[in-house]
Amino acid sequence: MAESKPKLVLAYSGGLDTSVILKWLCEKGFEVIAFCANVGQHEEDFSAVKAKAVAVGATKCIVTDLRKEFVTDYVFDCIKSNAIYEGRYLLGTSIARPCIAKEMIRIATEEGASYIAHGATGKGNDQVRFEMCAQALSPTIQCVAPWRDAEFIESFKGRSDLLAYCEKHGIPVDAKPKANYSVDENLFHTSYESGQLEDAACGPDESMFKMTVSPQRAPDTSETVVIEFNKGIPVKITNKTDGTVKTDPLEIFLYCNMIAGKHGIGRIDIVENRFVGIKSRGVYETPGGTLLRAAHMDLEGICMDREVKRITEGLSNEFARLCYYGFWFAPEMELIRHSLDFSQRDVIGHVEIELYKGNCIIKGRSSPKALYNADLASMDIEGGGDAFDYNPADAQGFIRINAVRLKTYAALRAKDN
Amino acid sequence: MAESKPKLVLAYSGGLDTSVILKWLCEKGFEVIAFCANVGQHEEDFSAVKAKAVAVGATKCIVTDLRKEFVTDYVFDCIKSNAIYEGRYLLGTSIARPCIAKEMIRIATEEGASYIAHGATGKGNDQVRFEMCAQALSPTIQCVAPWRDAEFIESFKGRSDLLAYCEKHGIPVDAKPKANYSVDENLFHTSYESGQLEDAACGPDESMFKMTVSPQRAPETSETVVIEFNKGIPVKITNKTDGTVKTDPLEIFLYCNMIAGKHGIGRIDIVENRFVGIKSRGVYETPGGTLLRAAHMDLEGICMDREVKRITEGLSNEFARLCYYGFWFAPEMELIRHSLDFSQRDVIGHVEIELYKGTCIIKGRSSPKALYNADLASMDIEGGGDAFDYNPADAQGFIRINAVRLKTYAALRAKDN
Repeated sequence: MAESKPKLVLAYSGGLDTSVILKWLCEKGFEVIAFCANVGQHEEDFSAVKAKAVAVGATKCIVTDLRKEFVTDYVFDCIKSNAIYEGRYLLGTSIARPCIAKEMIRIATEEGASYIAHGATGKGNDQVRFEMCAQALSPTIQCVAPWRDAEFIESFKGRSDLLAYCEKHGIPVDAKPKANYSVDENLFHTSYESGQLEDAACGPDESMFKMTVSPQRAPDTSETVVIEFNKGIPVKITNKTDGTVKTDPLEIFLYCNMIAGKHGIGRIDIVENRFVGIKSRGVYETPGGTLLRAAHMDLEGICMDREVKRITEGLSNEFARLCYYGFWFAPEMELIRHSLDFSQRDVIGHVEIELYKGNCIIKGRSSPKALYNADLASMDIEGGGDAFDYNPADAQGFIRINAVRLKTYAALRAKDN
Repeated sequence: MAESKPKLVLAYSGGLDTSVILKWLCEKGFEVIAFCANVGQHEEDFSAVKAKAVAVGATKCIVTDLRKEFVTDYVFDCIKSNAIYEGRYLLGTSIARPCIAKEMIRIATEEGASYIAHGATGKGNDQVRFEMCAQALSPTIQCVAPWRDAEFIESFKGRSDLLAYCEKHGIPVDAKPKANYSVDENLFHTSYESGQLEDAACGPDESMFKMTVSPQRAPETSETVVIEFNKGIPVKITNKTDGTVKTDPLEIFLYCNMIAGKHGIGRIDIVENRFVGIKSRGVYETPGGTLLRAAHMDLEGICMDREVKRITEGLSNEFARLCYYGFWFAPEMELIRHSLDFSQRDVIGHVEIELYKGTCIIKGRSSPKALYNADLASMDIEGGGDAFDYNPADAQGFIRINAVRLKTYAALRAKDN
């Protein structure tokens, strides 16, 4: 009886790298189960990917449509936290990895596989994200990363080596010439890096973008949407201009992408810090995420207490970093998501936003949980109106007590001088 | 010999409120020295303000041009810290108060005045900012805030009472009808609140804005600028489209305002949390500040270490809060500004930005202090190129050590289930 081969689940995209890796892993003696996650890649032919995986040597190829879960369990957590890395990056690739890794581990467990593998390089963030998420979900899983394997690296020094291997093993290759940059995509964003983008002084070509038009090419007429939130997540979007309404989570998000992308919203070009200590230049399009973040932040202005906001801003920074580094399934991330959910209890209401040539222009907001009270705020009404007995005279005591510490310090500094 | 009256320095704007206050303070027995700060208010006739102050009853009126100091000692600190309050507000009114208060105290000391006064209400932030800054600089100064005085409030219940008082005392009144909102302006921003803006559900009228055109009305053709920074502050701006160059701090900043305002950049509409515990709705235009913040953040991406960035992000949040609340001259703010300056040592380089209809589009950046290295970043070069011996195999150990903690926790959670 033939000794059974060790089973391995490979994150397979159908592309050149992971096809070579699939074959190489088979040659190394693994029984490879290919897994392709549908996280909203644009125009992907998943049945073709499935067929190719099996043709190359996988014993089976599983394609799972993870789009809805990706939105409800990952994207919406980003929205709730207003997550942003280093002030600009909306975490589009980072939040897909835990979603993908979770399904990989589910498959590995079901199939009795002790190994998982991926096509991420030894220089990037994704190797860390895949493997830390996998190990957090399955402490005994073994991770195989061919791009960190000395023999693999030696065999495949460049694209031509990969192509030669495909020719040798009869692996079909996409005839399209490779763009001079790398793309990662899902329904939340598209990311572009490497190749010509490594020159941080030069802007990208317009032809590169997939999810957004440039602001210049966006329509000359704006559109206005109203986004309704409940407990911090979008539950309805209404296009005031043409009457479209969406209430399903995935449909809401895809609609946000479509309408924001149409109006040139959500592009960034940055140099960021990878977790492995390297700076890299990336260009990203996150149309729906940009729109929803602007709306959510605006709504918190009217619904969220000031000190809760202060604390959640700190949690948001942590969330972004942990997500970016790959600590999605870590205990500290559990705590943060738990706290953020609690903070969102009263983030309920509507925000009206006009979309125009790259701009999200807030037009107004309302909430049944508003802590905003026009009478209390008004400089023309001396007290708090009917709701409160705000006494302006109290401000004197408030100011003087806050200043005690400053006066003590000033007196000391005066003595020094 | 007549007993000499107590001397008081009043922050005087020439408007209705502070003119009534000036007269009222004279009637209360003060010798009032009026002070009007030129912090870049648009189209203000300072000599008319001066004349009016004296006509109303001030023994003298001092006008100080603080614009250059406002830019070099306040605005540029905001730029260095990327300061932003509650994710949207760029602190335009907040940073002017310490600049104004500092000059008020200088005058008070010079003139032997024991009192200062202002026209800020008992519900807002400015009363706190003026008075805490003043007390931090001069521990024995006494602050008079007529809008917190019970008698004053009783006498002036609305605009008509103020006008009647002016009529009675021969105080000239601006014939222009009052807009249905309040405006505060300086060279950094214009702020709009109150009146019709108290309805948080309704957007403002286009006619209100002073420093920016709407994105819709901005030019159809973009312009591109290159901003050069040294130690975190802008030292040169070059307009690539028409060749304009500025190198003086104040001129650079005014040019940034002009060019960004021309292209509709820098408007926000928010509900924010005042320090006195009240939420208020404000609309702001910060054109030059928005442009410079985008440029500065981009440059830090290429020049600033990842963990330094993490720490300075925290300092930036503190800076924004402390500035907003009025703690500019507090010891903790000294520490933060000192730390931020240290962090900016290597923030040196150029950023190229295209300005188009409300958006700042980063085109590229370069720096002699770049920590970004294309070879090190490149997925096509296995190691670090010439500069480093980056070994991708090290990533395995890095990942596994980071995952130890996650695996321990996962095993515990598995036992619970």
